[in-house]
Amino acid sequence: MAVFTATRVRRRATGVPPVVLAFVLVPLLAETFWVFWPAIQGFYLSLTQWDGVSAPKFIGLGNYREMLGDSVFRTAVLDTVLWLLLFGGLSAVLGLGAALLLQQERRGVGFYRAALFLPVVFSLVATALVWQAMYQPDGLINKTLEGVGLGSLTHAWLADQGTAFYAVIVPALWRQIGYVMVLYLAGLKGIDPVLYEAAKVDGATRWQQFRNITMPQLSSVNAVVLSVIVIDSLRSFDVVWALTRGGPYHSSELLSTYMYSTAFQSLRLGYGSALAVVIFLLAFGVIVSYLVRAFREAD
Amino acid sequence: MITSPPSRRGFLTGAGAIGAAALMSGCVASSSGGSGSQSSGGPVTLQSNLSSPQAKSAMQNLVDSYNKRGSGKAELNTVASETFRTQLPTYLTSANPPDLLTWYPGSVANSYAKKDLLLDVSDIWSKPEFAGYSAAQQRLCTSSAGKKVFVPATYYWWGVFYRKSNFAKWGLQEPTTWDEFLGLCDKLKSKGVAPIGLGAGGNTAWVASSWFDYLNIRVNGAQYHRDLLAGKHRFDDPEVRKVFDRWSEALPYFDPNGTALAFQDATTALLQSRTGMMLIGTFFADAAPKDQLDDIDFFRFPVIDPEIPLAEEGPTDGYFASAHTRHKAEVKDFMRYMATAEAQEIYIKGSSGTALPTNPTAKDSGTALVKKGRALIESASDVTQFFNRDSSDALQPTADTALTRFLAKPKQIDSILTTWQRDAQKIWSQ
Repeated sequence: MAVFTATRVRRRATGVPPVVLAFVLVPLLAETFWVFWPAIQGFYLSLTQWDGVSAPKFIGLGNYREMLGDSVFRTAVLDTVLWLLLFGGLSAVLGLGAALLLQQERRGVGFYRAALFLPVVFSLVATALVWQAMYQPDGLINKTLEGVGLGSLTHAWLADQGTAFYAVIVPALWRQIGYVMVLYLAGLKGIDPVLYEAAKVDGATRWQQFRNITMPQLSSVNAVVLSVIVIDSLRSFDVVWALTRGGPYHSSELLSTYMYSTAFQSLRLGYGSALAVVIFLLAFGVIVSYLVRAFREAD
Repeated sequence: MITSPPSRRGFLTGAGAIGAAALMSGCVASSSGGSGSQSSGGPVTLQSNLSSPQAKSAMQNLVDSYNKRGSGKAELNTVASETFRTQLPTYLTSANPPDLLTWYPGSVANSYAKKDLLLDVSDIWSKPEFAGYSAAQQRLCTSSAGKKVFVPATYYWWGVFYRKSNFAKWGLQEPTTWDEFLGLCDKLKSKGVAPIGLGAGGNTAWVASSWFDYLNIRVNGAQYHRDLLAGKHRFDDPEVRKVFDRWSEALPYFDPNGTALAFQDATTALLQSRTGMMLIGTFFADAAPKDQLDDIDFFRFPVIDPEIPLAEEGPTDGYFASAHTRHKAEVKDFMRYMATAEAQEIYIKGSSGTALPTNPTAKDSGTALVKKGRALIESASDVTQFFNRDSSDALQPTADTALTRFLAKPKQIDSILTTWQRDAQKIWSQ
């Protein structure tokens, strides 16, 4: 009897219970069916020429070869990189700044935090509609400029190829800063106050405290913020589409909007899929290279 | 903190979902070729893209009145117009498709007919419901293989719209020739208004194509225009260049906000007398206050070359049926009803009222404006549809890019046309 229970116990310790197996395998199957398989299909479509109606025609790497000579693709890549730097860089810096300003519990600080976070809860398309109204030739921004005597600066902000790109970044930033701020606020809350006290005793300046305590302590949050920013930059679509559709004549074209218009407006689904693959590789490359570096540092 | 993985997963699922949907439609298309079963049962489904509240209820009235006749049963399924546009290929290739769909005749319907996706309805065209339909309409509904694949229901017209009270106040006359038109622009400019409103900003860049269409059919004729859009001529040909030379003459009179305002806002500018006139289709009336419409009149796009027969843009809307429908006889019965004067009057009464019936015996809404519009199209020697309808929705973005760039940088016209041709070639060649 005792031997019997002992083997049973041992079996329970080493074998994997079926419930656990089910918990692993069922989601894996679902993931395979709904994510991996379609993703592989996407790769396959990028090697074809397809209008969505007839059968896809296999053309090998033809779509990728076309990309090399496609000036709109070049514009879209450059704009996406610029978007990553401006949108990503500014939202990280301003989000961190806002978090540092608002981390201390003071009277009314909750109001400011809420105000900065509020844009995050709005749908981006709704946000874009409001900004579109403000950017109109007789909208709020031009009226304000005229009101303060800067009438010469008034502009058709979204219709001018020189300003459209930046006019689209502003609403995107307006939203992202609040989001990044919340991430940093959570990170700042996790820093042990004792560290700052010790630094103060040692006579560290505020800059030294920031440089040598705050930033190193925030390194894990930085990793999250970086991934969020890179992913959000590369998938930025709704706000651009709602405001300019990548226009006027491709001046605010991102890879994501170019992919959409190629696939679903021009019905060149093969080339659109190839663009999607490029976006995927870019996002994947940036994230993996960062993670590899982060893990190496941790070791 | 937790938000990072879901956003990545969301991205992947999104990409995956697109792939899956695409793949499924691919499977369906390959497996459904032989299914022609006539198994009846269940009502005929009419998939409609008329999603504005007024048009939607007008369609419902139409379906209700058909059901009341007792010859068959139909069911309306309204889909948001943008969804409808992107999903149309999937609807048509599906093995279990919606039976009847709202869409466009001409080259758009023909491109689907060439892929055997549309039901041949030649037999119902010999029925009495279709007796008075003009030769032009018959041509429009016939595929390149000579089969009738479409039933037209309504159309509308394009014209240069203006406010009667303003023209009277300033002592201006409707122009008939291009020179008179440019003279009119000069006078309007001297009154301090922007002579020509456009409305190609926001999400309605396609409105600019109306100028290209009209200039091309006035300078080179309707047949050249259709051939050009079908890829039989090139956008960098000297004929197309002539179109832009004419356009350049009128360009100084365009409202500088032309590419910044959507057509709805440009309509407001016209009604508030900030612009003098505007080339637009009658759908603009849907967005305009009803009491101001009485002050609105229009004139025919001016004649440029008197040798060229006068064609007009009269985009036609109607229905085609999927070739894979399980209710062939029932669909045809429903389509015959849609062609009757009774059905078209029911729809026009319920909708905004500027649409015209394709059945010549059907009554329109009877306002002076609509009567003038109907006379315009009936007197036209040829009727074109619109840029995207005479080519394809896929070609439209190439025009939007080229024309907005021309409006901003008219001096770069040569490189604009080269790029346009290159972009269009990619669409034609697939």
